[in-house]
Amino acid sequence: MSQEIKIIERKEISPDTVMLFGFPDVGLVGVIAASHLITELNLSEVAYMDSRLLPPLIVLHQGLPHSPIRVFGNHDVLLAVSETAISADTIYPIMHALIDWGKNRDVKTMISMSGIPIQDRQEIEKSEVFAAASSPEMLKTVQDKGVQVLQEGYMVGPQAIMMQYCAKAGVPAIALLAQCFFNYPDPEAAAELLKELANVTEIKVDISKLLEKGEEIRLRARDVMRRTQQEMSKMKKTQEYDIPLYVS
Amino acid sequence: MSTKRRRSIFEIISEYFENSEEWTERFGEALIEKPSWDYRACTMEPLRNIMVTPTEAIVTADLPYAEENTVRVKPLSKDTIEILAKMKQKIRFDDFGITHYKGEFQTLHCQTRIPVRVYMDKMELRFKKGILEIHLPRKHEHGIPIE
Repeated sequence: MSQEIKIIERKEISPDTVMLFGFPDVGLVGVIAASHLITELNLSEVAYMDSRLLPPLIVLHQGLPHSPIRVFGNHDVLLAVSETAISADTIYPIMHALIDWGKNRDVKTMISMSGIPIQDRQEIEKSEVFAAASSPEMLKTVQDKGVQVLQEGYMVGPQAIMMQYCAKAGVPAIALLAQCFFNYPDPEAAAELLKELANVTEIKVDISKLLEKGEEIRLRARDVMRRTQQEMSKMKKTQEYDIPLYVS
Repeated sequence: MSTKRRRSIFEIISEYFENSEEWTERFGEALIEKPSWDYRACTMEPLRNIMVTPTEAIVTADLPYAEENTVRVKPLSKDTIEILAKMKQKIRFDDFGITHYKGEFQTLHCQTRIPVRVYMDKMELRFKKGILEIHLPRKHEHGIPIE
């Protein structure tokens, strides 16, 4: 693990868990899904990140300071979530540190929850969810569950680094990506992603409250979305719209 | 033969500062960090986006809690519009668990500059799933033909 980043454990970590990632990205799909999972599964903080690479901020909850990047969990699930936009400069070491930590804690699968931006999202009633995987075996696993595969294209951001690093480290990993707004918080896309997560794993939650609170989430998430937009711009997130050129 | 008057250094400097002021005003909105709410005006600023196509400029704004029949878009100048919408309910800082600020909000409000010349009087509005779409046909300047 990087010397610059420490993951401090607050509780004993169970082996053979599924490790989920919900980081600020398009539509804040991953963060909204993560926040709902924490509430519905009653997950508690099991670890947090300590690093000078993080911005000089803490998140206050009930008057007490917390790291903006924390890991929540129970016996079956670990969930890494960030409450602040991660800068393009630090995203590599942060993702590598979390993946190394999860690997050392015998995580069986890693799943990144995020979105795929589409134009005219408001015209689409139901977001479709796509998947990419770190290995042919994992790809077959998701295909057998009926999940559509993201066949060709670019992936930018935390999930891109996760896919690449997990493939190299031999860690089974999946990226689940729901069609969403590029720069508006999208709770409905997060709900569709959670349905697909339930299909792929045993992690099942009721999404009705998430849909009921959709407007509140959109209003509340404006500031995080605005900051995330700035970082997405730096990491050239719009490249995901590009048509790739493959040289074979 | 036409005679072209040479500009004095003072005129050049004056023009430079005028351009700088215009630039500051134009881009200040993007550069200056400010809260996304104004407790004096009881307003919250919605997220918005602008897309320019060959025929129109499309502004979208995410208007959670907006009452559709209260959504208003006003041209403020030839390149600026103002978006206003009443929210279905009052939102207070305590609703978000915030106790160190006081204030309540019942309006979504923002101003946006349009980066190309448009016909403000031909503006069309659509509102779907809480997203406002403002379509503004472009005024086309004469392009340079290929000889």
